[in-house]
Amino acid sequence: MARKTVFIDFSKCIECRACEVACEREHNGRSFINVFEWQEMAAMALNCRHCEKAPCVEVCPTNALYRDEDGAVLLAPQKCIGCLMCGIVCPFGIPELDVLDKIMMKCDLCSHRRAEGKLPACVETCPTDALLFGDFNDIQRMRRREFTEKAIEIAKKGERISLRAL
Amino acid sequence: MKGVFPLEEKLVPVVCPYCGVGCRLYIKSLDGYPRGIEYAKDIPGISNENGKLCPKGNAVLEYLLAKDRLKKPLKATEQGKFVEISWSEAIKEVAERLRAYSKDDPNAMMFFGSARTFNEPNYLIQKLARMLGTNNVDHCARLCHSSTVSGLKAVFGAGAMTNTYKDIEEANVIFIIGHNYAETHPVGFRYVLKAKERGAKVIVADPRFTRTAWFADIFLQHYPGTDIALLNGMMHVIIKENLYDEDFVRRRCVGFDELARTVEKFTPEYVEKITGVPAELIVQAARTFATAGKGVITWAMGLTQHTHGHDNVRLAATLSAICGYQGKEGCGVSPMRGQNNVQGACDLGVLPNVFPGYQAVTDPEKRKFFEEFWGVELSGEVGLTVIEAAHAIEKGKVKAYYVMGENPVISDANTNHVLKALQKLEFMVVQDIVPTPTMEFADIVLPAAAMLENEGSLTNTERRVQWSFQALNPPGEARPDWWIVSEIGKAAGFSGDGARGFRYTSPEDILREINACTPQYRGITPERLKSNLAGIHWPCPSEDHPGTRVLYKERFLTPDGKAHLAAVDYRGPAEVPDEEYPFLLTTIRYVGHYHTLTMTGRSRALVKRWPEPLAEIHPEDAERLGIKTGDWIKIETRRGAYPVRAKVTRTVKKGVIAVPWHWGANVLTNDALDPVSKIPETKACACRIAKISEEEARELMKAVPKVIPEFEVVKG
Ligand code: SF4
Ligand code: SF4
Ligand code: SF4
Repeated sequence: MARKTVFIDFSKCIECRACEVACEREHNGRSFINVFEWQEMAAMALNCRHCEKAPCVEVCPTNALYRDEDGAVLLAPQKCIGCLMCGIVCPFGIPELDVLDKIMMKCDLCSHRRAEGKLPACVETCPTDALLFGDFNDIQRMRRREFTEKAIEIAKKGERISLRAL
Repeated sequence: MKGVFPLEEKLVPVVCPYCGVGCRLYIKSLDGYPRGIEYAKDIPGISNENGKLCPKGNAVLEYLLAKDRLKKPLKATEQGKFVEISWSEAIKEVAERLRAYSKDDPNAMMFFGSARTFNEPNYLIQKLARMLGTNNVDHCARLCHSSTVSGLKAVFGAGAMTNTYKDIEEANVIFIIGHNYAETHPVGFRYVLKAKERGAKVIVADPRFTRTAWFADIFLQHYPGTDIALLNGMMHVIIKENLYDEDFVRRRCVGFDELARTVEKFTPEYVEKITGVPAELIVQAARTFATAGKGVITWAMGLTQHTHGHDNVRLAATLSAICGYQGKEGCGVSPMRGQNNVQGACDLGVLPNVFPGYQAVTDPEKRKFFEEFWGVELSGEVGLTVIEAAHAIEKGKVKAYYVMGENPVISDANTNHVLKALQKLEFMVVQDIVPTPTMEFADIVLPAAAMLENEGSLTNTERRVQWSFQALNPPGEARPDWWIVSEIGKAAGFSGDGARGFRYTSPEDILREINACTPQYRGITPERLKSNLAGIHWPCPSEDHPGTRVLYKERFLTPDGKAHLAAVDYRGPAEVPDEEYPFLLTTIRYVGHYHTLTMTGRSRALVKRWPEPLAEIHPEDAERLGIKTGDWIKIETRRGAYPVRAKVTRTVKKGVIAVPWHWGANVLTNDALDPVSKIPETKACACRIAKISEEEARELMKAVPKVIPEFEVVKG
């Protein structure tokens, strides 16, 4: 099963919070991605990691948390009893309680958009491409390629300069 | 038909109603009501590659649903109290009053266009003003980029961005000055980051360590208002070390010797004393910029809003020219416009000195053309600018205002003065989509349809003209801006055929008239725009012309075709800190807000994230005054006082206070004007600060105009 999720490159995040507004619009006024600022200027967006060994899925007593075919961790609202276990075991504190309905809510990797073949809203909107959607292996490979390409370019530049100096 | 067939959800391509990047998106609508938005990933070549949107773009539907949208024309019974009237009454009254002024003294009227509405109504409002006999017509670009227009015109012959976003992406060095690019235009900043990923160097000059500076390879933290020294210092190094493009300067520029003489004394050490930027950084920035091969300079209000804004821009243009970064791809100067149609409103002559297409009102030949075109006699006297108009009311010279989609009470410098002036008006018309503090003084209020409820063309900051389609129904009796102005034009007696009157049936009619009288827009027809969603960059002189990405490939637009390099000696801000007012105040903006909060202030998602202004103050200054983050402080200048909460942060330079201006901080700012561009110096003035209690803050707040006002309206 290809396990796709939203990866975050915090070095590119400009804290514009477009991702939050987009998620909120797609999810009835609730955003499942949050942008944190630290050290005055650095910022990072954080949403559900849809972990490989997701503690929330393991701990849920009613099996309300499950995986869809893309590997996204989803919540079946009819089964949720609002016991808060998932929120406690999640290392990032992602599942939140909807105070009105007393059930949990979390990032669903925009399942309604994926069903139409679209990317999650937060990824689609991020102006700086700080958010990437994909399979970990693919993204890792892509980053490696990017790095190598850049290194080659720099090496070529250096060559030109040293040739000129001769 | 309704109810018989199932309604279909439509995806309508529109242009974002917010900033000058001019992003495209789709509105999902059902029978004219909003259902959501979709990203425009499938339109190649648009300014927001891959359909990216910033938070404002993501929240575009929210302000449209504001509870206080204006839905019926209103007439004031006394200041700030209104009764509803019908459209025919409203139009008749406005037209009759304007007609009367036009007979007695046309220059007693002042018209405001708007950078937030389409090209077509902007064209019409200046046509109406001019046909009524006055050139008193201006818009808010005066307050943000008039120095860009005048400064670039002086050096290159025209006041627009020379290149496009594509050129930013392709540059090897990007010099960002007086502009928090990442925060003001996140989607435009995308291109800076893409260039950086390719290995381009980024140089940022700003008094604050902004979100943009975070991405800088070289960061120059200068004091507000010392840009002339900084730019001269860089040019000193470039000339001294022979790094400029000698060939380009010889062939295409004039004034180099004088420039070299003037910058002679601006040694890095001397500039360090004025700007506070270490000398070696100035040298490094100069070398990096001049030797990159392809470079872009980009700026915004941090450079323009000064009493020497015009000179700042001339120097930025000069720096670009001596490095040979003109007329080529991957180069250029790139002023970033705030609102989505600043460029278009300027292009279409919503300025007191030019007809559409920057044709001077003082030029007898151009005037003759328009006299024949519109079939009336026209004034050849340059009209009043926004700030001058406020002074003219006080002197009793201007008596009537027609304000379309503008909010001078919040946007003009020195608010208290503006308030005093507006009180003296005899007659004021406000045409807008929601109540603004400016409406308090209106005699007649005309409810307008918002951009997405209406269609027309817009010109973004890179001269790209795009068509935005109607996605939604306007509320109540709100009408498109073009309709309102043309009805008033007809009622005022201009009922001739074609260009000689105001008998339009659609925005397309108006754009065709624009094609006929604006050389740059000649080939930008409604048909072409509708079939080409990515739009066309002006100049586009004929219908088979593809549009122009890079300006000045062969020659500049100056009479002799050369770039006129500027040699300017150092001048600081009009008001500098002294014993009484020891701090330097500067104004800033937040990514989620825009203009005077008229739209963003009514968007729940944005207000939730950026709920209030915070004044940034350096930790050492804060400690001396006993101020902690979250404390209320009072900022006071010679013009007014403003209560705000403090944020202690190392991002500002010592001795500098930075406040976002959206919430009415212009009660503090200086309305001293640049002598050429007439822009007020909102970016630097002297102030003092004191810690106050919350009660005091509330008391002071009463004197600051409310950005979202409530008015009493009697239903008609
Ligand atoms: S949209 Fe992208 S850049 Fe903006 S806050 Fe989210 S992750 Fe950061
Ligand atoms: S993937 Fe969808 S639900 Fe999850 S944070 Fe992003 S926008 Fe929200
Ligand atoms: S960058 Fe400007 S045009 Fe683009 S979405 Fe944001 S506000 Fe709209």
